This record gives sequence, C-alpha cells and structure tokens, in this order.
Amino acid sequence: QSLEPLPVPGPDFGALGEEAELVEVEPESKQEILENKDVVVQHVHFDGLGRTKDDIIMCEIADVFKAKNLIDVMRKSHEAREKLLRLGIFRQVDVLIDTCQGDDALPNGLDVTFEVTELRRLTGSYNTMVGNNEGSMVLGLKFPNLFGRAEKVTFQFSYGTKETSYGLSFFKPRPGNFEKNFSVNVYKVTGQFPWSSLRETDRGVSTEFNFPIWKTSHTLKWEGVWRELGCLARTASFSVREESGHSLKSSVSHAMVIDSRNSSILPKRGALLKINQELAGYTGGDVSFLKEDFEFQLNKQLFWDSVVSASLWGGMLVPIGDKPSISYNCVFYLGGPTSVRGFSMYSIGPQSEGDYLGGEAFWAGGVHLYTPLPFRPGRGGFGDLFRTHFFLNAGNLCNLNYGDGPRAHLQRLAECIRWSYGAGIVLRLGNIARLELNYCFPMGVQAGDRICDGVQFGAGIRFL
Amino acid sequence: AAEPWPENAALYQQLKEEQILLSDNASSLAVQAFLQMCNLPIRVICRANAEYMSPSGKVPFIHVGNQVVSELGPIVQFVKAKGHSLSDGLDEVQKAEMKAYMELVNNMLLTAELYLQWCDDVTVEEITHPRYGSPYPWPLNRILSYQKQWEVKRKMKAIGWAGKTLEQVLEDVDQCCHALSQRLGTQPYFFNKQPTELDALVFGHLFTILTTQLITDELSEKVKNYSNLTAFCRRIEQQYFEGHEKDSSTVAARSSKTSL
Repeated sequence: QSLEPLPVPGPDFGALGEEAELVEVEPESKQEILENKDVVVQHVHFDGLGRTKDDIIMCEIADVFKAKNLIDVMRKSHEAREKLLRLGIFRQVDVLIDTCQGDDALPNGLDVTFEVTELRRLTGSYNTMVGNNEGSMVLGLKFPNLFGRAEKVTFQFSYGTKETSYGLSFFKPRPGNFEKNFSVNVYKVTGQFPWSSLRETDRGVSTEFNFPIWKTSHTLKWEGVWRELGCLARTASFSVREESGHSLKSSVSHAMVIDSRNSSILPKRGALLKINQELAGYTGGDVSFLKEDFEFQLNKQLFWDSVVSASLWGGMLVPIGDKPSISYNCVFYLGGPTSVRGFSMYSIGPQSEGDYLGGEAFWAGGVHLYTPLPFRPGRGGFGDLFRTHFFLNAGNLCNLNYGDGPRAHLQRLAECIRWSYGAGIVLRLGNIARLELNYCFPMGVQAGDRICDGVQFGAGIRFL
Repeated sequence: AAEPWPENAALYQQLKEEQILLSDNASSLAVQAFLQMCNLPIRVICRANAEYMSPSGKVPFIHVGNQVVSELGPIVQFVKAKGHSLSDGLDEVQKAEMKAYMELVNNMLLTAELYLQWCDDVTVEEITHPRYGSPYPWPLNRILSYQKQWEVKRKMKAIGWAGKTLEQVLEDVDQCCHALSQRLGTQPYFFNKQPTELDALVFGHLFTILTTQLITDELSEKVKNYSNLTAFCRRIEQQYFEGHEKDSSTVAARSSKTSL
C-alpha cells in the first residue's frame, strides 16, 4: 500500500455548475431577434477583478472573441465561465451579453461582461473524508490566488481513524493552460496497518508537474521521503520486527492517465487506463527499486440501465543493486473489500506468523454487472444512488526470483490463483466515494490467506 | 519457559566496527558475559537498525525461540525462568546488595558514558555523530543523530545531570569505581567464588571503557587507578572469552584497544 501524502494536493475544482445559467440577453428597444444572426464580439468587460492579474484572464476568455453567431457567443461564454471557475479563484462568475453601445458600435456588435467575485485571501474548510476503509476529519486553510495568477497555498490537517497527517502544498498553474501546473508539497503522514502489524510514519517533500499530451494527462514527480517503520504490537512477527527502523527514499515517478469515463464512481461508459512507474535510488536515499503498475477499466452500458464493467490491475517491483532493502511499504498488497473481495484486507500472499508481508508482483481482475435495484424503489430520487452488483474477482500476489526469466514469472503468477464471486449492493456517495455491502464466496484460497466469506462491507474510492 | 535453550539463540546489536557507541557496546558485552557465565550459547548478529528492532528501544536484545527480550534485567529474569541462574546461591541480604551495586553501575557508569557520548561537544562532533548516523544516507544520518542527542539531553536534564561538567562526571566515575573496588577487594568475583550477573555487568562496562579509544584517556584512566578492577576484567576475559576468539560467530570482546 502507499500512503497518499494528503487528500487532494492538486488542482481544486471549484463549483462547476451543471446548467448553463446566468446568461442574459437584453433585447434592444427595437426588439430584433438576434438569434442565428452573425455577430461580432467587440468588447469583453470584467467587473470585480482585484488582485487577479490580467494575463491569466485573457487566456481563459480568448475564445469568446472568436464567436460568430449568437448561439456561439452563448456557448463560448459558458465555456469561458467554466474555465474561470476551474481556476479556483472566483466564488462566482456571472455572464452578461448585451448589444454594443457607444460610438464605435457595429450594428451587430456585442458586449460580453463577466461579473466576478474573487475569493477571500484566506479561506478555512472542514471536511470529512472517506479513504480506503477509513474515515477522517480534515481541517484546511487555503490561500487562493496568492499572487494573482491562481497560485494556491494549502495547509491541511487530517485526523483519522487510522492515521494523522498534515501537509503544506503550493500549487501554480500555467497561465492560459490550467492543465499544465506544478505543485510542491511538504507532508507528514502516519498510518497503521494491522494486517502486517506495522506502523509507519512518513515525512516527505515532493514536487510534481502535470501536463496534458493530446488526450492523456501526465504527471512527473520527484519525491523524497523519510520513512520510519515500527511494530504495531509486541506480538509482531520477527520478519516485521527486522524491518523496523528508518530509511530514506528518493524517487522519480511518471504517471499517465487516459480517462474517458463519464464519472469516476460507478461510470456508465468509457474506459480508464493508468500506467505508473517509479524509479528510486538514483537521486539519493538508501532504497533502490523500479516499480511499474497499471490499472485498466472498461465500462459498457447494456439494456435496461445496467452496466457491465471489467477491470484489470497489475504491477511489478524490481529491486536494483545488491542491497536487498525492499521494505514493506514499497511492495504490493492484495485482498480486501476494495480489491479481491471475499478476502480480508490485504491478507493474500506471503505472510509470517499472521503478518502479511506483501509481494513484488501481482495481478487482479474483476468483472461486474451493475443493475438498478430490483423493483426500482425510490426511482428518480434516493433509489438512483443504489445499484445491485454481481461480481467475479480474481488475483494473485507473489514474490519473484529475478534470476528466472519472464516465463517463469508468468507461470508463478498463474498458479494458485485466488478468486471469488458474489453479489451485493453499491451506494454512490456524491462524486467522491462508494460503499459496498456484498455477500462473497472466496475460492482458490491458499494456506495462509485470511478470508472473509459471507457478508463484507467496503468503503472507498478505488475498487477493483 | 519449559522449552530448553535453542541452538540458534541470537543477540542483536548495532554494527560493531562503524556504528556502535560506548554505552551500547558495554550493555551488549554485559549480556554476552552473563550468557557465557551461564554456559548458554548465543550468536551475535549485528544490524544497523538493532535499536529500532528492540521492543524497548534499547540494545542488546535476544531472540530465543519465539521470544524477544531486551536489556540485562529482563534477560536475567527470562533465563531464570528457563532454569539457569547465577545468583541462586546467594542469601537475601546478598541479593539485595547485588541489586544495589547493579543500580549503582546503571546510575553512575552508564549515565556517565551517555553523558560523555552525547553531552561533551568534542566527543559528539568527532565520534558520536559520525558513528551513530553512519549506516544512513544524508540527510537522514544527521537527523537521526540530532534526534537521539536531544532525547539523551532531555533525560539528563530530568535526572539532574545536565548541569554537570565533565570533571564532575569523571569524579562520579571515580567514586563508583572506588566503591566497586572496595567491594571486590581481593576476591576473584564480587560474591567470592562464583560469578553473578553483577560481575557480568561490571565487566561489560569496565572492559569497554578500558578498551575503547575516545578523544582523551581520562575515562579509562579513572578505571586503571584501581588495579583489582583491571585484574578482574582480565580474569573474566581470559576465562569466558579468550577460548572463543577464533570462533567468529560468538563474542565481541577483544583485548586490544578498539577505536571508537
């Protein structure tokens, strides 16, 4: 598992309206119908700019000038409004379209006015977060639009059922191209992992660049982390005890995401592909490895409002150099209500005296069928948040002997496959998380795995 | 408790050549001496993270069967539960006396060693910081070292040693050695014929002090003033450690000066 530095260190999506509202057209006294008539946008005004600098505004609204007819003006103004809200520096953006007045007014000239309200210099927030099977209370302080170009400094303090963490983050988008941005984070995260009898404290610094290339979005990140591991209980196995202590990881990673789904929680259509690689050890520190992992998901809507979804995860960790210093926080874990269902949390694979040690390679796949609740109670309202869910999950986790070839590795991953099937109910929580209550039948159980056959509850963001 | 002493019992401490400090070396040697005196075989395994592996945070600790026990006191109890003891032959008065002297060594000698290592600026800069952080990359080596120093200084303040000067600390060492020397007298061991855990503890500390090269020789000179103590150390070394010199998997004591 990995400890996420903080909830949401990156771009913050302000209130994205879902309807095109607040577009007013004031008819001239002549009551001409301007629809579909060729128009020219002559002026774009901004009311309410304070500390925001002009150049970033110019980039976001440049398209409005290119509109050719009224429908186009309305659409481009709406898009510009969305872009301005996305910057996260305005509380409100209203758009006013009017015919041009004044001496230089053309007969088909239009004025577009954006009335904006900037966010205060300092805002506080209080949220509750649902992570993978844990909940936490998050207090935040935010300085939006610090220097006028949508820079943001955030401080967050998160107190959870399992971990406490805090962090400071600086975010700066590129003017005119919000998807290109970089951020610098400093954080401390604590976590407890009872399945491995392990306690972990990470203190780190990271800097990341996000940029889009065509339809994909890429992230390039450097991270330096001081990791401290300890035993959670006196009864921890000796293998885990041997891993206690401090280590320093300095790694460079790259991630690519292509996401064409219509939603990240219970999507109806679209696909997701995420590929992530991390190289540690060449920029300092005493942990050296190359880690690759990917996530793939495909969704298709069928008859009667039901959706079939298939997903595949996999990953591999290759230690570099002769120091066999792969600690338990770099490896992969498998099993649990958000992974291969029917097994206890992260309780598949190599273990020692009941503590699960994770593995260097894994794969996991799932096929799901989501249908509306039988007889559709509460249709049109609350009932739409629930889905019934039939699933088939499978996966495997093991350590590899890197002396053998790839054939032997594939063979190892293909033997002793754990799998499970079952059914249950899924509840969608906004656009953030999902809850599941399933009845599972675990199969292919190997000696040492801990299963959860029967009812299993899961809450989280990322599910297999 | 009913299980016999296994063959693969192991004692864990920090890396001998580059990392371990005077006080930890002394504690480790004391435990090794005790186990030798009980005739229980033990392997010494050196790990950079031994201090963090230990359940109490202190070295050394032993891994026997499924159990992990750290520090001399609990180890003595653990070994006693397995049916081996060095102090069974003592009466109640002697046992109380033994405990008192062990307390003296822990409160005086061990604390003086810690003071010298962590509160004397020259020693800290030239010996302690480089050694303590040696297994770790920069900047972790500095961070851990400073963190430990802050912890030890806080403990010193709590027991009232923060205000002491080096001279006062050396005076305390001298007084402690004087008391030990008086008690030992001309006997081979503190309780005449048979060694006890007190002998192991005193040997561990005095031998380490005598054979460790620090910035100055002041500390070892204080011990050398008492000839019966140096003879005591040599005797125990010869009896319990010399025979195993060639066996590289046991024992860390050497008769030549090891530079720290």
